[in-house]
Amino acid sequence: MGRLPLLFVSLTAFAVLLLAGAAAAQAAQEEEACLSCHAAEGLTLTLPGKESLPVTIDPKIFKQSVHGSVLTCATCHPNNTQYPHPKVAAKTLRDYKVARAEICQTCHSDVAKEFAGSIHGRALVMGFPDVPSCTSCHGAHDVVQASTPAFRNNTPQLCGTCHGDPRIMAKYGLRPVYEAYIREFHGVTTTLYKLTKPYSPTPAAICYDCHGVHNIKDTNDPAALVAAGNILTTCRKCHPTAGRLFASAWTEHATPGPQASPLVYYVQVFYRLLIPSVLGFLVMLSVLDLGRWAGDRLKGLRG
Amino acid sequence: MNRRSRGPTVQRFTLAQRVEHFFLILSFNILAFTGLPQKYFYTGWAERIIRLMGGIETTRLIHRTFAVLLILQSLYHIGAVLAARRAGRERGAMGLGFTDFRNVLLDMAYLAGLRREKPSFGRYDYRQKFEYWAVVWGTAIMATTGLIMWFPELLARLVPGVLVPAARVAHGGEAILAIVAVIIWHFYNAHFRPDIFPMDPAMFTGRMEVERLRHEHAEEYVRLMETGDLVPEAVSPPEVEPARPATPSPSEDQNSSS
Repeated sequence: MGRLPLLFVSLTAFAVLLLAGAAAAQAAQEEEACLSCHAAEGLTLTLPGKESLPVTIDPKIFKQSVHGSVLTCATCHPNNTQYPHPKVAAKTLRDYKVARAEICQTCHSDVAKEFAGSIHGRALVMGFPDVPSCTSCHGAHDVVQASTPAFRNNTPQLCGTCHGDPRIMAKYGLRPVYEAYIREFHGVTTTLYKLTKPYSPTPAAICYDCHGVHNIKDTNDPAALVAAGNILTTCRKCHPTAGRLFASAWTEHATPGPQASPLVYYVQVFYRLLIPSVLGFLVMLSVLDLGRWAGDRLKGLRG
Repeated sequence: MNRRSRGPTVQRFTLAQRVEHFFLILSFNILAFTGLPQKYFYTGWAERIIRLMGGIETTRLIHRTFAVLLILQSLYHIGAVLAARRAGRERGAMGLGFTDFRNVLLDMAYLAGLRREKPSFGRYDYRQKFEYWAVVWGTAIMATTGLIMWFPELLARLVPGVLVPAARVAHGGEAILAIVAVIIWHFYNAHFRPDIFPMDPAMFTGRMEVERLRHEHAEEYVRLMETGDLVPEAVSPPEVEPARPATPSPSEDQNSSS
């Protein structure tokens, strides 16, 4: 290898560093300009629908976010580089959030495509008001790495924000499933990991292990990972030796009842009756025994 | 009868049976201590206990280790009973019969003051028999349902998978039944009964005063007198059982319960 390529490489590297340095300096300057207003606490924008949108930014939270060292304000807010900013087109908070999600596609186009075909993506386009967009699950300025144990262990609660709320679920003819999940074997392990080992990812299945992430389907869709034809394959991701009948162990996030998992329900009823009757009987015998002893003592029959 | 009297004694439990009982105390308590927080995982105390043990994986490891110990112990117990039966040492003194259910009613009447006489009991009274069989039933249920939850994939090769969530419910229900039954029934009968408070020493010394036997296990007392097992020389020296090849010795019955 001659001298020339080495010189070329050095020069290129130097140029890149210089440019990067300049860009970083420019970004820092630009951010400082934005923050001169947006760091102020309690800053809000009132939308035409009378809802108020908080526009205060905590620079520390943004810096710690996954985008903190790679994006600047202008990456996601290119229209707002000038002051005064152009008028916000959205009439409601919801419209604003949905519109903002489009900027994510600039970089995350694969995920956006997947999401568009999912039940959430389709319902979002149809305009249903509770359907999550990017920021509903990931946040806006506080986006964290989704592959961290903390994010994984917190996923059921995140999904449970809507899927644990009977009021929201009723609008779409769905059952709230969060509570039932938490009481299932998987949910117990996940809850305990979250509480006692927040830095270890739960080994038990969480929502997206079975339902998928951005490609999540309606559970009645034959293509869903949890559809009758696919569920055993999905179970085998974690339980590779699962037999043919394994999927029937699944109680479908339903509270056992005479219709849903009757066997489980009747075992529950059996113990609900057995425990108090046995205990009542034992307490009665013990009290009788104690009473007889006390009675005998009072009559002077025992020392 | 004064419980502190030091009269002649008779052997109730062999050393092997007392060791068995000790291991039962050990496994039962550790299984309860590591199992309850798993059932009540959403409470603060459960979280603290699981944290103390180093997380749910370690808690499950301890739980399963002592579960295996309890299962091995149960298999040993079955083996010991069968061996005793074959050797003719086992008379079925722990067997439940119609008499036991009659004795419950008679004893209740006596305790309520409706009868003057206490029913006479055999080697084990109905309280001890019920407790023994509750341990047998409870261990069988807990071992079966526990193994189902431990190896759900294997189970679901043979039987419908719905047995897994059903087993989980049964395991929790049976656990509560066992724990509360022990706290009420066993603690009352073996610890808090005024006659024996603070504890019945028979399961630890292996011996019982003849006088107490005469009161609480009258039929056994009569039987021992008839077989000649209660001659004074035979009962006073502790631990040593004179060899009597011809007559079956009740003291070596394999059923453990105080």
